[in-house]
Amino acid sequence: MGRKKKKQLKPWCWYCNRDFDDEKILIQHQKAKHFKCHICHKKLYTGPGLAIHCMQVHKETIDAVPNAIPGRTDIELEIYGMEGIPEKDMQDRRRVLEQKTQDGQKKKQNQDDSDEEDDDEAGTSYQQPAAQQAAYVPPMTQPGMPQGMAHASYSGIPHMMPGVPPMMPGVPPMMPGMPPGMMPMGGMIPGPGMPPVMPGLPSGMPPHVIRPGIPHMATAVPGAPPGMPARPVIPPATTQSSVSKPLFPSAVQSQQTASGQSPSASTTEATKSTFPAYTQASATSTNPSSSTVAKPPATVTSKPANLATTSATSKLMHPDEDISLEERRAQLPRYQRLIPRLGQATMAAAPAGAVGGIMPPQQPGMRHPIHGQYGAPPQVMPGFMPGGMPPYGQSAPMVPPFQGGPPMGMRPPVMSPGGRY
Amino acid sequence: MSLFGTSSSFGTGGTGVFGSTTTDSHNPMKDVEVTSPPDDSISCLAFSPPSLPGNFLIGGSWANDVRCWEVQDNGQTVPKAQQMHTGPVLDVCWSDDGSKVFTASCDKTAKMWDLNSNQAMQIAQHDGPIRTIHWIKAPNYSCVMTGSWDKTLKFWDTRSPNPMMSLQMPERCYCADVVYPMAVVATAERGLIVYQLENQPSEFRRIDSPLKHQHRCVAIFKDKQNKPTGFALGSIEGRVAIHYINPPNPAKDNFTFKCHRSNGTNTTTPQDIYAVNAIAFHPVHGTLATVGSDGRFSFWDKDARTKLKTSEQLDQPITACCFNHNGNIFAYSSSYDWSKVERKGPALEPRPPPQASHGAVHAGAGTGCRFQAWSRPICVI
Repeated sequence: MGRKKKKQLKPWCWYCNRDFDDEKILIQHQKAKHFKCHICHKKLYTGPGLAIHCMQVHKETIDAVPNAIPGRTDIELEIYGMEGIPEKDMQDRRRVLEQKTQDGQKKKQNQDDSDEEDDDEAGTSYQQPAAQQAAYVPPMTQPGMPQGMAHASYSGIPHMMPGVPPMMPGVPPMMPGMPPGMMPMGGMIPGPGMPPVMPGLPSGMPPHVIRPGIPHMATAVPGAPPGMPARPVIPPATTQSSVSKPLFPSAVQSQQTASGQSPSASTTEATKSTFPAYTQASATSTNPSSSTVAKPPATVTSKPANLATTSATSKLMHPDEDISLEERRAQLPRYQRLIPRLGQATMAAAPAGAVGGIMPPQQPGMRHPIHGQYGAPPQVMPGFMPGGMPPYGQSAPMVPPFQGGPPMGMRPPVMSPGGRY
Repeated sequence: MSLFGTSSSFGTGGTGVFGSTTTDSHNPMKDVEVTSPPDDSISCLAFSPPSLPGNFLIGGSWANDVRCWEVQDNGQTVPKAQQMHTGPVLDVCWSDDGSKVFTASCDKTAKMWDLNSNQAMQIAQHDGPIRTIHWIKAPNYSCVMTGSWDKTLKFWDTRSPNPMMSLQMPERCYCADVVYPMAVVATAERGLIVYQLENQPSEFRRIDSPLKHQHRCVAIFKDKQNKPTGFALGSIEGRVAIHYINPPNPAKDNFTFKCHRSNGTNTTTPQDIYAVNAIAFHPVHGTLATVGSDGRFSFWDKDARTKLKTSEQLDQPITACCFNHNGNIFAYSSSYDWSKVERKGPALEPRPPPQASHGAVHAGAGTGCRFQAWSRPICVI
């Protein structure tokens, strides 16, 4: 655990009881939150300093430190960072902290306002996937990496293939290491690399032209693994091709060095935001989200969790259920009337007659309830197509489809029911 | 470096831009209004790519239609064409050559709209409403990526009825963005997945969310070499997280900031926290715009970590926004987003939207998202 010499291990703010990693950050926080003049926004260094400034410059008196919790608002107390904290409060804090750590460590602090707790959790949860990745990385990195990315992929592929099904979740972080090295080769490497990664894909590949320039690869794919060692043409092209793709090749380096360490580091830190912008007020509204986070993510079919959208100091302008606004809206009956039911979806290109109109002719019955909501479009039409049919004025062939029909030729299926609107 | 702290509302500063004392809350920014807006809320906006001369704006709406306007240099908008789905349209995107527009809808299909012939053809089918659609142009393949509430991410060659690839997601797709070779998808239950698209799309990394509330919008940003390097993620809790994929110092480089909240530093009255509905990055300057349910849009500089500007409050939430290809025009749509619903119970149908939707285009002098440049707004939708 280390020295208890430091005042309370982690610097904390006497005014609002928040924890910080660094005393420097603590001081920045105090300057921005507690020692900032509300009139001119000047940041002072101490409470008394702020009081004096307000008196001298604005002729105003202040009697409490802004944004301080009740009981800690004394403007006379000269506190700077961790200095000046009364010994009694120091002891109180130590006692409280010890209590907390004794009561079952971090699990209990789900409800805590502080961000640091959350990102500790995120950090611990992230270590496991990193550990899993670490187990798989050695076979890939040792033989190949020093010689350049292409070779790594070559030697790595045979290692990967047997292990692919169980390590599907671990594969993606390593995959990007291959493609950047492969690009100059016109996708030859990804050929053998694909079957292990997308077991379902090769069956679908031949009919679809994913790589129009290399159609022969479709037949070469099954024969690729045995043919791999016999590809001497690759090495010249695989020098440091990472120059063109800084984003993902750096992930390759991270594989080489610390396997899953860097992704975990980047994400754990990301959840922490020690900037003054992150106030207590908003932190209180983070409590409800912990209830949704703790749930396993697969409970979509059950009733969605509710957000607690109000708190003492803030109110979230959002409906209570934890579904998106679009989902909520799409469930309303008025938006569901025209959606084709299963079995009636039109897959092919619209028949020539329905120029642009998408209303399926086989569902006339569904249109009747529509009124009001959809009443406007035809009236908008006259203004909408002021005769300039060809939007891009490029080629004549585009014009004939419109000249044949009435001016509103775009939506004949809609117009036919006539006086509905 | 000034950190994101208080939000000084632009209105209080009071330059001569908003001259009149009677604020028109419908169009307080005096931006140019787009003619013939859709009849229901606008869900998505997209400007044409640079390969097309001129500026064309596509907007999808909850009235099941997708509309196309030409935005002329003088700011006037001309309606050009329209297509329909059988369900509300949730997302639109352009192909890289500007000849096709892809539309995704609650009717579980996605369509490809050939603008030259004004024909739309179905190219995708999901088991649930399709929430996001993006065009991927890779050196060795091109495809359409669709993210759906059926928890799958599918990739479509537009010539075939079967997907080229289908990736399973842990949860329903709520928002996505693509900047080759990177794609980011944010899902329900605060899921966040990054995909790499080289050679073929594959999952690159699952990220622990930097935000503590439901994800709402995401936008990828690029570094100085024009390569995608991270993304901005917005939630329903008036907060945006800036997250780099491989930063040198994650603790310092990644951060979040608050936005779209009702009162700035005033801590006495309870604060109303609004959802961030959309995020868009300026294609040239790299500054970002956020629009929220509070009816305002704001511009931010993520490198200097400062707020550049906040608009006046509109009378309705702002639901979508986008920049045109050179960043001279900023389009935003103002329409009801169903965020203010009575919390009585699911059986109660919420109030109908107060009025039809509106879109606005806000243009600057092109020198960037700075205060001075916005002194002469040219277009408003």
